[in-house]
Amino acid sequence: MCFTQNFWNLFISGIANGLVYALIALGYTLVYGVLQLINFAHSEVFMSGGFGGYFILNAVIGSSQPSGLASVGFVVLGILGGAVAGGVVAFLLERVAYRPLRRRNAPRLAFLISAIGASYFMYNLAGKEFGRDAVSIPSPFTNGTVFTVFGAQVQTYYIVIAVATLVMLVLLDRVVAGTRLGKGIRAVAQDSQTASLMGVNIDRVISQTFVLGGLLGGAAGFLFGLNAGVVYTMGFTPSLKAFTAAVLGGIGNIRGAVLGGLVLGVAENLGVACTQSSWRDVIAFGILVLVLLIRPTGILGERLGRSA
Amino acid sequence: MSAVPQQGPGSAARLWRSTDARRLFSCVVGALVVAVITGPSGSSSSPTSGFTGSLFRPRALVFVALGVALWAVMTSRRRFGDLIRRANDRVVAAPRQLLANRWYRYVVYLAAFAFAIWYPTILSGYWQEVLVDQIGVFVLLALGLNVVVGYAGLLDLGYIAFYAIGAYSAAYWTGALPIHPPMHLNPFWAIPFAVLAAMLAGVVLGAPTLRLRGDYLAIVTLGFGEIIQIVATNLTGVTGGAQGVIGIPHFSLHAGSLKYVWHVKALPYYYLLLVFVVIALAAFRSLERSRVGRCWAAIREDEVAAEASGINVLKYKVMAFSIGASTSGFAGILTASKIGFIEPGDFTVQLSILILVLVVFGGMGSLLGAVLGAAVLQWLPQLLRVHPLFGFQPPDLFIYLGALLVVMMIFRPAGIVPSRRRRSEIGLAEHGVGTADAMSAAGGPVA
Amino acid sequence: MHNKWFRFLLMLGTPFLAIALVLPATSTGASAASKPTYTIAYEGPLSGGNAQLGLNMEYAVELAINQANAGKSFGTLPFQLKFVPEDDQGLASVSPTAAQALITNPSVVAVVGPAFSGATKAAEPAFNAAGLATVSPSATAPALATQGWNNFFRVVADDNAQGPADALYVKKVLKAKKVYTLDDASAYASGLVSAFDAKAQSLGMKVKHQTVQGTTQCQEGTGDVSEYPPLASEIKSSGDPVTFYAGYYCDFALLAKALRTQGYKGKLVSDDGSLDNHFIAEAGARVANSTLISCACADETKSASATSFAKQFKTLAHFSIGTYSAEAYDATNTVISVMKSIGANVSRTAVVSGLRTVDYKGLTKTVKFQSNGDISGTAVYIYQVKSGKITVLGLVSKLAK
Repeated sequence: MCFTQNFWNLFISGIANGLVYALIALGYTLVYGVLQLINFAHSEVFMSGGFGGYFILNAVIGSSQPSGLASVGFVVLGILGGAVAGGVVAFLLERVAYRPLRRRNAPRLAFLISAIGASYFMYNLAGKEFGRDAVSIPSPFTNGTVFTVFGAQVQTYYIVIAVATLVMLVLLDRVVAGTRLGKGIRAVAQDSQTASLMGVNIDRVISQTFVLGGLLGGAAGFLFGLNAGVVYTMGFTPSLKAFTAAVLGGIGNIRGAVLGGLVLGVAENLGVACTQSSWRDVIAFGILVLVLLIRPTGILGERLGRSA
Repeated sequence: MSAVPQQGPGSAARLWRSTDARRLFSCVVGALVVAVITGPSGSSSSPTSGFTGSLFRPRALVFVALGVALWAVMTSRRRFGDLIRRANDRVVAAPRQLLANRWYRYVVYLAAFAFAIWYPTILSGYWQEVLVDQIGVFVLLALGLNVVVGYAGLLDLGYIAFYAIGAYSAAYWTGALPIHPPMHLNPFWAIPFAVLAAMLAGVVLGAPTLRLRGDYLAIVTLGFGEIIQIVATNLTGVTGGAQGVIGIPHFSLHAGSLKYVWHVKALPYYYLLLVFVVIALAAFRSLERSRVGRCWAAIREDEVAAEASGINVLKYKVMAFSIGASTSGFAGILTASKIGFIEPGDFTVQLSILILVLVVFGGMGSLLGAVLGAAVLQWLPQLLRVHPLFGFQPPDLFIYLGALLVVMMIFRPAGIVPSRRRRSEIGLAEHGVGTADAMSAAGGPVA
Repeated sequence: MHNKWFRFLLMLGTPFLAIALVLPATSTGASAASKPTYTIAYEGPLSGGNAQLGLNMEYAVELAINQANAGKSFGTLPFQLKFVPEDDQGLASVSPTAAQALITNPSVVAVVGPAFSGATKAAEPAFNAAGLATVSPSATAPALATQGWNNFFRVVADDNAQGPADALYVKKVLKAKKVYTLDDASAYASGLVSAFDAKAQSLGMKVKHQTVQGTTQCQEGTGDVSEYPPLASEIKSSGDPVTFYAGYYCDFALLAKALRTQGYKGKLVSDDGSLDNHFIAEAGARVANSTLISCACADETKSASATSFAKQFKTLAHFSIGTYSAEAYDATNTVISVMKSIGANVSRTAVVSGLRTVDYKGLTKTVKFQSNGDISGTAVYIYQVKSGKITVLGLVSKLAK
């Protein structure tokens, strides 16, 4: 087959890409679960996470080359910086672009248009304020091959992504399953009217859901930016693909988002090996269309509430 | 209603939570955001200089003052609102009665048409070019998207794809593409082919995807808009690739003894555009009032009920897509033939969003709104380029447009020149009766 | 409902209508002065993703005009020069309008630009109809010289010159039998790489080609950086000793990093879009060292006039010279030298005919035009990154004997 020659390399880097997609997809899926709404502006949450991580590490590392335990510390710092930036932006987004519309019971179209407007506003403002050229995040670790599996190189960078994502997923699982917020999210996702009758503060749950998705998306922005650099337009393509991943796995389904991300990451790489690098986005989009036409509920099925 | 501040503990908190205080806070923060947007830019080496340059300067106080003034106006609107409304009624009573008469309305249309014919002749060459390339083409595009978003209530984020198809059709039928047509056509006679190609693309795109939930449709159309550009770049043997297509001939008309060739100058294209815009306006207006228009309104207002009353929802949605695509097919061939060169970089997703802004701003579902919205929002940046004002820098255009979209959705979702019907639909939807768009199979508010 | 319609229309319409009707009276006539004033314009991307390329050229044009006005480069001139920049965002959809702004300005006698090939293709018919000379410092599409535009000139060799020269170098000097070629899907790169591929194949090399979209971070393209690792592993497993990348420095840096991380040991070659110190900064000296870059331009860091140009450019622009800065400088000076030989009565037609016969010694080359507007003489140089600096190796014609 066209991809068997290089299979493990493609697979490993596909998994790494896919984990980043998964983190972003979780933001989409959480918001969709409670609001039945695509948060179009999630791409800018991702972008601001990139900038957040960049500013913090730029200030703290500068031009030094950390290694060892200090590296771990810096990675955590970068992730926190990205996550906080993402969370703040998500919070503001909900407050400014969505809540006024919810108050007025605006039609769905209004939400989508407002989200698009917010997205364009934010990334162009970031371009204006932070410059339009790309910047690279000072590397908190020295990137090299850690080990090889079946001839494929596993770089430090991949390990960092894998560990960070795993930790965040476990934390998310704890939050959704154990905490009051998590219960609130599941309740609102299942049936928002009844949930509010049972005393759940819908506004607060929605706001916190946005923030939760924003933390993950922002962290993803930092992790993505470590390799790719940070630029104001970085949000659009990865987020579109992450949304595909969310739909692929089953919108509203947290495990689905992760599975969708991994599947998409690997499928993209394999597809590119069979065709050409320039068809990469078409492949991702093609997967989206196929899923929507053949199995719109996704691989693991949807988990949505009924709001009426 | 504002809470009356009372004595005692908690009154400060109550004051804070009162609507007026909240509004003041929003107005001032909004004003400061505008100060940042219109202020100097930062750069990657000095990311905070934009913020400090806009906020830590005397000009920030001016903006704060403006914000407070806006708050004062909004708060006092309650008191003066009635006065304004009564004065307005008196002013518009006479023209309104006049326009109610059909014949006077025709006179107004004729006068507007005559003005549209005469006025561009006194403009400079630059403004004539702007009138065609920036304003006229986008008026056509806005009219088309208006059918999709305004009449059928569907969100199409990849609308530019139809424009691209119209342009590449022009290239194809005139023999400028690497692949050759069965017969070479004069671009003027290729116009119906380009329009048809766009409409066909509308059907092909719409048929499989219009069954989807509204938000999914938006994403799929967004992806489609992206893909068109990638395909045009990659298929070098078909579309000429990234280098584009050069040498598309200008329109020329040879019919018997009538001979006319369009050249480089903008004015002849303007008149051609004007003719097509008038045709489109007439056609869409009659469509709106026909059975098709009523079906669209039914789908918009309550899709489930529409389906239940026997309307083939999918068929009418596809029809909206297709009819909306027709104007952009014409716009595509007009641009391709006028400039003579097209490349994939002309057809970006950002342009699709721009057209959406034009329609939303003008008024979804309103013909006059689409025309005015496109004209105003396309004309203003050109004006500001020539006469810079208020710290507007052209690269920042989409900051303003993005903010405009959000503000419009919050305060005036029906647009500046709303269609009466749309406005009442939105009002009803806000009270829980029906939806005002065709975005969801099950109606109902969002959380 | 109707009254609200009216209210808004009245509120909005009246001031707009008033301004709009007043607008056509935009006067751009030159003020009465002792010396006539002529304007040299620059058209290129000054905003958007490609702004840096455009700004590199814009400041060079401005510098040349400032120097001429001060009498430093051409002595006392019988006229005063003005500079007008025009932003076309590098887009073919915007450039006709930008062109009209310059055409309808009666004081503009020549245009340096447009910078991008696509923008030039779209705007040139209008410039041609108006008889306004355009001297482009960077539009390299071969098609531009075959449209019969007598007002079109360019001071750079077209893509058909650089591509084959690079292929010759790869075959003769690097002695490679197989080569992997890439382009970033831009108009510039795809033209260049097809010329390279054609020549390479005619020389008997086996060529594998892929298009890899320019990334969003680098040029607001549609690709993203995750496309490079799988591509790099594919190139590595192909075993090709040479990889040729047609595109710009930013994406080339990302590609180079990905290739070296994968352990690719072959040689990296690129075109003049990568001839920029930012490449070394972004890829890191370790990755960038030994990379070969070609350019149809001479090394302008050696001569005294070149160093002085670089210094004065930095003073004016607050950043160092970049790709095409020197070409834009030469293009402007060529125009000024033509204007000087015309005298005080400069007209657009006189500039066009003057340019057809000009022979001006500039920084990068002697500027002389062929009958179709192309530059005469297409010497391609090879540069190499050594110890973190770009140094010139020599002419391809001399090295690839």
